[in-house]
Amino acid sequence: MDPQLTEVSQMFERFKAAFIRKDFDSCANLLSQLKVLLTKFRSLPPLFENTPNSVNEVLLAREIYEHAVVLSVKIEDQDAFERDFFQLKPYYTDAGSRLPPSQQEYLILGLNLLRLLVQNRIAEFHTELELLSATALENPCIKHAVELEQSFMEGAYNRVLSARQNAPHETYVYFMDLLAKTVRDEIAGCSEKAYDYLSINDARQMLLFSSDQELLEYIKEEHPDWEVKNGSVYFQKAKDSAPCKEIPSLQLINQTLSYARELERIV
Amino acid sequence: MTQDVEMKEQPAPSNSVPSSSPSTLHHLKEIASLIETGAYDREARRILRAIRLTMALRRKLKASVLSSFLSFALTPGSEAFTRLSSYLPKEDENEMEVDTATSTAQPPAKHSLPELEIYCYLLVLIFLIDQKKYDEAKACSSASIARLKNLNRRTLDVLAARLYLYYSLCYELTGTLSEIRSNLLALHRIATLRHDELGQETLLNLLLRNYLHYNLYDQAEKLRSKAPRFEAHSNQQFCRYLFYLGKIRTIQLEYTDAKECLLQAARKAPVAALGFRVQCNKWAIIVRLLLGEIPERTVFMQKGMEKALRPYFELTNAVRIGDLELFRSVAEKFSTTFSSDRTHNLIVRLRHNVIRTGLRNISISYSRIALADVAKKLRLDSVADAESIVAKAIRDGAIDATLDHSNGCMLSKETGDIYSTTEPQTAFNSRIAFCLNMHNEAVRALRFPPNSHKEKESAEKRRERQQQEQELAKHIAEEDDDEF
Repeated sequence: MDPQLTEVSQMFERFKAAFIRKDFDSCANLLSQLKVLLTKFRSLPPLFENTPNSVNEVLLAREIYEHAVVLSVKIEDQDAFERDFFQLKPYYTDAGSRLPPSQQEYLILGLNLLRLLVQNRIAEFHTELELLSATALENPCIKHAVELEQSFMEGAYNRVLSARQNAPHETYVYFMDLLAKTVRDEIAGCSEKAYDYLSINDARQMLLFSSDQELLEYIKEEHPDWEVKNGSVYFQKAKDSAPCKEIPSLQLINQTLSYARELERIV
Repeated sequence: MTQDVEMKEQPAPSNSVPSSSPSTLHHLKEIASLIETGAYDREARRILRAIRLTMALRRKLKASVLSSFLSFALTPGSEAFTRLSSYLPKEDENEMEVDTATSTAQPPAKHSLPELEIYCYLLVLIFLIDQKKYDEAKACSSASIARLKNLNRRTLDVLAARLYLYYSLCYELTGTLSEIRSNLLALHRIATLRHDELGQETLLNLLLRNYLHYNLYDQAEKLRSKAPRFEAHSNQQFCRYLFYLGKIRTIQLEYTDAKECLLQAARKAPVAALGFRVQCNKWAIIVRLLLGEIPERTVFMQKGMEKALRPYFELTNAVRIGDLELFRSVAEKFSTTFSSDRTHNLIVRLRHNVIRTGLRNISISYSRIALADVAKKLRLDSVADAESIVAKAIRDGAIDATLDHSNGCMLSKETGDIYSTTEPQTAFNSRIAFCLNMHNEAVRALRFPPNSHKEKESAEKRRERQQQEQELAKHIAEEDDDEF
């Protein structure tokens, strides 16, 4: 076996051991060393050279990056997630035909979809979605993210929240918690427009707070214009567009003059 | 996706094929002489005409005709000749014996024009594709592209653009489109360096097609936004560009832009390109639905498209009524069509619009309705779902209503008199502005484009004139000197 490959796989074993021990600091440390070592393999993207060990090397690299993605979720670093995911992606798309499929593939693709949803990057979400095959869409991990997006767009927020209970993998919980915060802001925004007032009890349930105290603090911080009195929350209604009292004369004159000018050009 | 290739086969001017046509070979020879004059005079226009004439002959091409044309146009024994002849089958040689005899009787002309050589490549390639010999066609096209890379002549641009197109088509037909991606990118770079705008345009479209074939919308958009843009040279290429751009925009949820691109592409496409127009219409219909518009019935009744657009018609109907159950059954019924059109993911997005339409209908009909009834009417799973969905619709401005949580009902607001606001005036203004803009653009389009050919001539004349003026000035100066 190639000495370089042995070195990398030994270090990766140490990484995995630390990963199981949940010693994330040494994991991150080992990971950056591993990444440097991986640059020495000529069979990895973007070169894709055919070396005798290429399949083994690519497989190992793929596993390392898969672990890197999961690690970034554990240490709750979204930027690292994005970086690691993009490093991993070519192994699925460009090298996919030459390798046995990875067990982790759909899990990680689903995580990425969820991340895009949390960061409200819906356009990218759909771009990624187009890359998935029909069988991939049937996978529970992917399906979970797709259904979340749909519920989110429709406004069925309680479906989004109940989805947290049946998350397909433990790593999903981190993003689901982030999503819950986004959902709360959305619900607050919608309630503000849709209701005149809500009793404190209802508002607390709707905004998913466990105590009245939390609710009052949230209102104070995020929506100081809401009014709390008589055991209810009153939303300040935005003034409806009142029937036009004045004639916007200046604007009308400008428009009419421009019509006259254009017509003159035609005639 | 493959249909829009058909767009190239526009009917050539009918007068070019008189009924008393002597033979295909004769026509080919005429075309060859057209290319020759075009090459000597540096007029791309003539070569363009030659290609149009070739397309009219496309159906009549036979192996024997081609081989005799090859021996007429190319030096027998040259590299190109041997290579191209090897692609042609040798079965029906005796059939056209007479023609071959006449051609050999002529004095063998020593043509060594690269334009003619490339034209032969193109001819053989078209023949091979029509005969469905895709593997040979692939080899032939790759050879021609390799040859093209070494030639740098502006008169070749038109022929080269065509070759690129068939090159990509061969690989698409054999399902190996991803192999040529880097090659196309290299060709695009070369075309850019040589200021071959037609080539750039064609190659950019081929690259976009290549990316979209594998659903690589991200890469396609990155390439598109970075590639140089200029005034379109070919209407067909521009149509395709618009279509691809429309698709990218749709995926990225920029529906307003997407709609504009797709409708423009459908309108600009030649009438003969039915497949392409059907594709454009399918996408345009979905985009309009996603925008909350309902396309008119006439869209679905366009000539030759009724059958292809039928699934989309039923889909539109479901969205219009706002019936989730009907929508689901239509989506299931035509799921094979939708997935082969690759619009399946877009249709999933439509569910949201169906709910909105249903909700709007309810809000118009009832001034006060219990949320439980709303959930039942929209066939939603629970009242809580209905409540938050209604709340979101109110926030997005889809309906004008308020919710009463304690009584669990939705109260629609009275719609105020719209004519007491400035709304009609602004709508009127935007329409007038649109009309005036349209008129101005039409006037601008009537102007002649700057004619490069004319300018070249006048440049020579200008030089002459300047020379004369200089001489005159010298004379005058001398005369002035003499006087003093």
